[in-house]
Amino acid sequence: MIVAEGIYKHFRSGTRSIRALENVSLEVGRGEGLVISGKSGSGKTTLLHCLGGLEAPDKGQLLYDGIDLGSLSSKALSLFIRKNVGFVFQRSNLFSFLTVRENIAFPLELNDMGGAGKNRRIDKLLRDIGTPDLGPAFPHEISGGEMQRVAFARAIAHKPAVLLADEPTASLDTDTGRLLVELMISMSGEQKCAIIIASHDPDIVRMADKTLFIKDGKVEVLK
Amino acid sequence: MRFLFFFKLAFLYVRRSFRSASILGFMVFSAVACLVFLSSLAVGTNDAMIRNSVGLFSGGVSVDGIQRIFDPVSLGIDGVQDVLVRNKCPARLNRGNRSEYVLLFGVDPDREKKYTSLWKKTVEGDYLKAGEREIFLSKPIAEKLGVSVGGRVGVGIGAEVPDATMAICGIYNTGISGLDQGVAFVPYGALPCDAEFYSAALFLEKSADAEKIASSLRSSTGEKFEIKAWPEFMPDLKQLIDLNFVSMSIVMILVFGIVSIGISCAFVIFILKNLREYGVMKAMGVLAVESSFYLFSQATILTVLASLSGAAAGALLATVFSRIGIDLTSLTSQNRYFAVSGFVYPRITPFSLCLPPVLAILFGLLGAVWPSVYIAREKAAEILRRI
Repeated sequence: MIVAEGIYKHFRSGTRSIRALENVSLEVGRGEGLVISGKSGSGKTTLLHCLGGLEAPDKGQLLYDGIDLGSLSSKALSLFIRKNVGFVFQRSNLFSFLTVRENIAFPLELNDMGGAGKNRRIDKLLRDIGTPDLGPAFPHEISGGEMQRVAFARAIAHKPAVLLADEPTASLDTDTGRLLVELMISMSGEQKCAIIIASHDPDIVRMADKTLFIKDGKVEVLK
Repeated sequence: MRFLFFFKLAFLYVRRSFRSASILGFMVFSAVACLVFLSSLAVGTNDAMIRNSVGLFSGGVSVDGIQRIFDPVSLGIDGVQDVLVRNKCPARLNRGNRSEYVLLFGVDPDREKKYTSLWKKTVEGDYLKAGEREIFLSKPIAEKLGVSVGGRVGVGIGAEVPDATMAICGIYNTGISGLDQGVAFVPYGALPCDAEFYSAALFLEKSADAEKIASSLRSSTGEKFEIKAWPEFMPDLKQLIDLNFVSMSIVMILVFGIVSIGISCAFVIFILKNLREYGVMKAMGVLAVESSFYLFSQATILTVLASLSGAAAGALLATVFSRIGIDLTSLTSQNRYFAVSGFVYPRITPFSLCLPPVLAILFGLLGAVWPSVYIAREKAAEILRRI
């Protein structure tokens, strides 16, 4: 269970202070899907970064199964993220110098999952995302849709507690984007992994268990 | 921490970023190759100065005050190629009302010709011949006495002994005051005195260390004789060589300091061109120490490979030129330390081979400091937001 309580975040731009999040609270259970929706610049990415531990909120609390992320040291937080969080970004997700297979192996290696188990896991993920033959390919050799599917496979390879996806379909056509999100939701559900997607795509909003509309850093509606 | 994994990752990065790694590697490679060759050339220049200086007459080690009963063969220890015995006595050379005081050396002309180069400096006439009663003079002394080849000079060794007369077989000119002033040469038999002591010039093998040989001789002969290695009787040359060594080291560090700025800049670009990927890595829970290790591994792999191949290329170039030599005759004609030959043969020493790659690796690692500190300190969210 991920619980965010009263999250505030602001940024400084020169002499101006920009309010990115104001008193945001939410709850997502294991296997549940939440879509954070809102216009560009509304604070979706900042909220996602805060939920993933990449950004520390100025105020408020983030609890992962009762563990307060704010109480962890920098090293402990990195190790926590390594084990419990998977990220899919809008673009340039994959490491350009690694093959698809090596990209998926990255979080497994980080989490000490090596040997035959690692290879079995990669093979399964490649089959599940419908690209069983892409293993030896480099990112520049595959399409944008394939790239995002591989990025998703990499994000859930180590079976994290939560998958965070920031506009994962933004660079894809509608059909490819919809198929990707369906795949993400179904596979995350199988793994009992909470999935939080930041998107302004109405099709994606309709697929979610819960939706949080955000405007100027404030939660407008939580459905 | 997964150091082996990150080292493997760094290796893959360097191998697969072929174009940029090649450009950066070539910078390091060429700098190291040039500096290995240049430092070998500096060693070769020093060798040439020593070879020219000791090969002219003195030998690498000189032994003075040897009693007649002592067999010079005993001086031929390991590293000594040959021992040239020289008798000497002070003499006065006379011609008409002109006279000049010299130290007259009695030498074996055939062996002197084999090991020394003084005969090559003959400007008029010929060098000495064994068994003849003739004298070999320097040009300044011949001018002072007003004599030329074929002429005769009186050689006196004291008031109680009548002057001997000798024919002048040849005149030499070295440009070195120690050999052009105050000395003259005759074959053994023509020396008008019967010296109680003799001196010996030891000509050494190529790799032999004159100071070590002198020290061994001192201990083996019980310090009865005055034994000097060339740095002791040619302190100015020793100082010049020490200065060359220091200045070459400074030049090397300065050159690498300047080259390193280029290498560091290229390295920063090499690393930061994939800045977003480091942001993604951090977002996946890579620790600051791991990302630093990863970057330093990239720098190490790249600079070690480039430096080793650069050192090998520099060594190969130096080896080729050590066989054929580099003719600097036109540049060294005014240098008294190149009195015999202007050919320089580069020589690789552990120092000349190791210093450039060590400096390259050091500066390569220094080049990785800023990017690794930057990536270690920057938050993943900041990097991802920016790019």
